[in-house]
Amino acid sequence: MVRRVLALPTGRLAVGVLSVIALLAILGPTLAPHNPLGTSALTLTGPSWKHWLGTDYLGRDVFSRLLAGSRTSVLGSVEVALIALAVGVVPGILSVYLGRGFEWFTLRIADTLLALPFLIYAVAVTALLGNGIPQAMFTVGVLVSPLFYRVTRAATLAVARSQYVEAALISGASIGWIARRHVWGKVLPPVAVALAQTIGVGFVVVSSLSFLGIGVQPPAPTWGGLLASDLGYLSYQPWAPIVPALLIMATVWGSNLLADAIRDVSGEAGRALLNSRRARARRLNPAEPIPAGGAAR
Amino acid sequence: MAVSTADHAVVADPGVALAAARARRGAGRVLVTLARSVAIFVPVFLVATFLTFALRSLSGLSPAHIQLGESATPDAVARIEHQWGLDRPFLAQYWTWFTNILHGQLGTSWTNGANIAELISNGLAVSLSVVVLALIIGVLFGFGLGTLAAVRRTTWIDRAITGFLTVFSVMPPFVVGIVLVTVFAVGLGWLPAAGYVPASVGTWPWFTHILLPALALSLDPMADVARQLRSGLIAAYQENYVTGAIVRGLSPRRIFLRHVLRNGVGPALSVLGWRFPTLIGGSVVTEWIFGLQGFGRFANDSAQAGDVPAVQGVLVVSIVLVVTFNLIVNIVLGRVTPASQRGV
Repeated sequence: MVRRVLALPTGRLAVGVLSVIALLAILGPTLAPHNPLGTSALTLTGPSWKHWLGTDYLGRDVFSRLLAGSRTSVLGSVEVALIALAVGVVPGILSVYLGRGFEWFTLRIADTLLALPFLIYAVAVTALLGNGIPQAMFTVGVLVSPLFYRVTRAATLAVARSQYVEAALISGASIGWIARRHVWGKVLPPVAVALAQTIGVGFVVVSSLSFLGIGVQPPAPTWGGLLASDLGYLSYQPWAPIVPALLIMATVWGSNLLADAIRDVSGEAGRALLNSRRARARRLNPAEPIPAGGAAR
Repeated sequence: MAVSTADHAVVADPGVALAAARARRGAGRVLVTLARSVAIFVPVFLVATFLTFALRSLSGLSPAHIQLGESATPDAVARIEHQWGLDRPFLAQYWTWFTNILHGQLGTSWTNGANIAELISNGLAVSLSVVVLALIIGVLFGFGLGTLAAVRRTTWIDRAITGFLTVFSVMPPFVVGIVLVTVFAVGLGWLPAAGYVPASVGTWPWFTHILLPALALSLDPMADVARQLRSGLIAAYQENYVTGAIVRGLSPRRIFLRHVLRNGVGPALSVLGWRFPTLIGGSVVTEWIFGLQGFGRFANDSAQAGDVPAVQGVLVVSIVLVVTFNLIVNIVLGRVTPASQRGV
């Protein structure tokens, strides 16, 4: 599936953007040229060779704070996605097999979680349960999990009620073999799509929370926190929010693109899409020299 | 078509009877939709309020620590907890709290003993004016852009709109808010950067104060509605009955309004219901940026102060808002596309 995603231009773009962000998260804190918490007398200066993105209201180097904050922001969204995956997928699969009572109960819970305005809940729960990143991630993860629940449930239902699985059961296949051969391949792509989407959603929520100063202690840098401190000094540095805002948007855009790319290439429709692209490429190849010659002339 | 209208004109009585029967059936359908939606949302409301109430036990916060500070004697703590009824069994507390909520009483604040329902209703006026304006902007522009993209599909207009919508959908409300403040308030100085003026002072000042926050909130639902509407309309255009209508020589406007729009609008409406919680949640951030004393700001402040009843009050109000809005969406959906009733 990875190879199929990379065969699409959008897939390559998404993977490229996300790997740059991931690199920032891994190497960022060590690459930071200045101490992200070190204050100086040079407050609110513009970009220069020493401070690439200028300094903030306490004279701290914005570029270093951006790099140092990348790990918290990115790790946070990945954590949210993984918690949502763990909380959502298992009940999603079990709801098909464990009978109507469990199904009804989990469906109502999922409905409820979807109906909660989750930024308010995330703010409330995180602040009340002790202001920390783990609480914030856990709350947001649980609140986003209905997406995984629904997606896995739908995919499992489709497989469990299909005739080829019944045929395999009749001809004596073991449950484990069916799970590997039939269920896995059908459930995995939608879960991967949901995972990519959730990373984007989680990223927005984590940035919003850190923007409000929830889940992090004040001096620690985060992308959302940078935006929040820029907001107070907009009349001095109207350009300051551009870089953190662009980074946040690029991350969300990258994960949405990845979700779209996985959706495009997975399943029967995806195979058809790839085949038609390949066919078109083969048809176009012999014709290529003509426009190239035209450009040369 | 022509024949049936002639029928109506000539024989008035059956026409009237038919209209009455149709109205009756329509009313019955609304009732059925309403009942079905209520059956879905009552459990949602129960579970959500239970989760909300359980927050206090989970948090382990107590009014005693807020009023007496960290160095309170266990005796004093127990006395204050008894005053607030916190030493009673969990389910008994829940029951009292829940019945109070049904009567519209949200309790009193731990920090200053004020009536929470009053505090929230003050903030709600601010939040609701912003959210409603955001909804209006989002729906109007979402429908406009989505329809335009679907009617001019695969042209450069479609591609430009889709591109803009992609940018809109990846911009979180607080980024949009900051951009709007930078451009329109700080840069151009056209609109106020922060604060709120009640509508009683004057409609225009009120409108200018809520326009920027509403715009910041509206981009997300706008992008969603437009994208869903576009794909819904395009799918409807490819149906056989639309081809049939074209072949029969109906005018494009009639085809669009009667055949395409009614069948393609469903996903866009239901995504609106889905998005409403996000809109309410987004108000926390936009109210913070624009310095509005709305109920999202109230939620944030009281959560950070550890004022549990106030937070619970805000959460209950937001649940009620979401459930009510979804009920309305479901009823409209049932009226516009009866097919959606089969699989709510």
